[in-house]
Amino acid sequence: MGTVHARSLDPLPMQGPELGVQPDDIEAPGIEQEPKQEVLENRNVVVQQVHIDGLGRTKEDLLTYEIADVFRAKSLIDVMKKSHEARQKLLRLGIFRKVEVLIDTSRGEGALPNGLDVTFEVTELRRLTGSYNTMVGNNEGSMVLGLKLPNALGRAEKLTFQFSYGTKETSYGLSFFKPQPGNFERNISLNLYKVMGQFPWSSLRETDRGVSAELTFPMWKTSQTLKWEGVWRELGCLARTPSFAIRKESGHTLKSSLSHAMVIDTRNSSILPRRGGLLRIHQELAGFTGGDVSFLKEDFEIQLNKSLFWDSVLSASLWSGLVLPIGDKPTSIADRFYLGGPTSIRGFSMYSVGPQSEGDYLGGEAYWAGGLHLYTPLPFRPAKGGFGDLFRTHFFLNAGNLCNLNYGEGPKAHLKKLAECVRWSYGLGVLLRLGNIARLELNYCIPMGVQSGDRICDGVQFGAGIRFL
Amino acid sequence: MNVCVFIPTAAEPWPENATLYQPLKEDQILLSDCASSLAVQAYLRMCGLPVQVVCRANAEYMSPSGKIPFIHVGNQVVSELGPIVQFTKAKGHSLSDGLDDVQRAEMKAYMELVNNMLLTAELFIQWCDDATAAEISRPRYSSPYSWPLNNILAYQKQWEVRRKMNAIGWGGKTLEQVYEDVSQCCQALSQRLGTQPYFFSKQPTELDALVFGHLFTIITTRLTSGELAERIKGFSNLLSFCRRIEQTYFEDKTKNTKLSKFV
Repeated sequence: MGTVHARSLDPLPMQGPELGVQPDDIEAPGIEQEPKQEVLENRNVVVQQVHIDGLGRTKEDLLTYEIADVFRAKSLIDVMKKSHEARQKLLRLGIFRKVEVLIDTSRGEGALPNGLDVTFEVTELRRLTGSYNTMVGNNEGSMVLGLKLPNALGRAEKLTFQFSYGTKETSYGLSFFKPQPGNFERNISLNLYKVMGQFPWSSLRETDRGVSAELTFPMWKTSQTLKWEGVWRELGCLARTPSFAIRKESGHTLKSSLSHAMVIDTRNSSILPRRGGLLRIHQELAGFTGGDVSFLKEDFEIQLNKSLFWDSVLSASLWSGLVLPIGDKPTSIADRFYLGGPTSIRGFSMYSVGPQSEGDYLGGEAYWAGGLHLYTPLPFRPAKGGFGDLFRTHFFLNAGNLCNLNYGEGPKAHLKKLAECVRWSYGLGVLLRLGNIARLELNYCIPMGVQSGDRICDGVQFGAGIRFL
Repeated sequence: MNVCVFIPTAAEPWPENATLYQPLKEDQILLSDCASSLAVQAYLRMCGLPVQVVCRANAEYMSPSGKIPFIHVGNQVVSELGPIVQFTKAKGHSLSDGLDDVQRAEMKAYMELVNNMLLTAELFIQWCDDATAAEISRPRYSSPYSWPLNNILAYQKQWEVRRKMNAIGWGGKTLEQVYEDVSQCCQALSQRLGTQPYFFSKQPTELDALVFGHLFTIITTRLTSGELAERIKGFSNLLSFCRRIEQTYFEDKTKNTKLSKFV
């Protein structure tokens, strides 16, 4: 490690106002040789004071948790590292536009010869910020307008109002988010929303008005979420002449459910990862806390990625789920699973697999879907190191099945049913990664195992989304 | 009236499994819906078309026009008496074929009178009279739903009906004025009926079905006050008209169980 100077300590690499922690960011300070100045590298130092300049609305007690570690530093390198970490923590709170760090020797009364003062110069975000963006969901686009109070009560609470207008769904929602001081991953959020969706594959229109309360906390290597949700759901017919099965589902239901989700994500990126795995388990119990819908829903998702030769990645994923009605009422169409389309089993039309009535897909109570992908860079690697890196080619093999279960038959019969008439498809395509959240695909698909009633998309299929099989 | 437009594809025969949908009979259905449903049932019985009555809590939302009742015949769904009459006509069943143009116009006018007066009066009493709304209409209407959805839906419905009443100028009416309107309507019907067995002499028409549906439901339904039924009971020929239709078309199957269906 080289020599580091106390005085002219340039702030650590400055990012823009973007939030989020980049673990690769902690860089070793530069190596320089300027023998005239005092070398402090190995000297014990004491951090005497930490100042935070530029605070307006933010309460100081919130920040003391974030910067507490700086006081524990024993050497200059340590001070720099800890200050940098503290800076990242401050930025992650999402309440500052800019955070700069200044480390200086202590001055004034009571200053120790090896004392240091650390000053964080922060610029707070405005009281009210607005945003406008476009979003890609699962094969739909939407325009989102948002208003945010980034630091509503002075302790990194966020109050957000969002309006989104999409090709299939229009929604607005108000949400309040509060992290635990000093432990940003442990947070609560309260939401109030209305979503109006149209599902042409089922000739169904759904309007949801709901409230939810959510508690998220880390536990060992997992992230756990506990949630209560109360939703008033209104189902109606989309077309003038839907099938009678859809007509029968029309009307109002009230769902009150408790759910738990657990996620272990060791992937290096959520879109087109090179390594790592994902396990997501979600379970929902509805009807226990009121409402007129009762069911138990379990589903999980596993994804494993492995880097191979020549920058190619082999990825395998498996999804599966089950919804069990509780009591004598059958499950509602809004609670069942749907399969098919460019984000699940490619080569089939969007959610157009499985039980149907007169061309309206009714969803199923159990499903599984698996996918095997080989991602490779574009052939001949055009624009390598730049724009070309956003693209990949892939070869895929997807399979899955969706069915209703008659709960009198026993688990063996259910498994047999799920193993019968498996839909599968294979093909290849090009995909484009959009930021770190979405991806677009253009595939040539060959659907196989098509059952009567399934709608297929033989040949070229376009897909956009955030969650892919 | 919100008419559901449909185009009959072909004069297919009336299927055996034709179904009529209405809200839950014991706990949910309200006077006005019950009357409309009974009118359609009477009409289909007069035509000799069998229909199975199915009660579903979400019947109102299943209906293409949002109104009770509707029938599901083959793969077609038709709601309310007017469109159902047209629908059966397209299938070759009609009660008003024997009427001349003048009589047909008269029949339509009386049907409009019943819809505008009796049906509106029923809706008014159900939703605009606070006592009836609080004791009968809101609890019954929302009985299939759990809290707090039951309150939301009941008040939403009440608000919707009240807005409609304001739109047609009934908003400022008192209960007494509404009873008076019902009396006048019955007076007109009673005079037209006279001593005939049906409104157009010997054969029943859709008007008879409609009048029967409403009058029979009103006199057999207990509300917070018996005033509405009392007004009708003053017209003896209408009462015997109701009894005649009940005996001719309903007696064999339902006996007198109908009398207690609406508490």
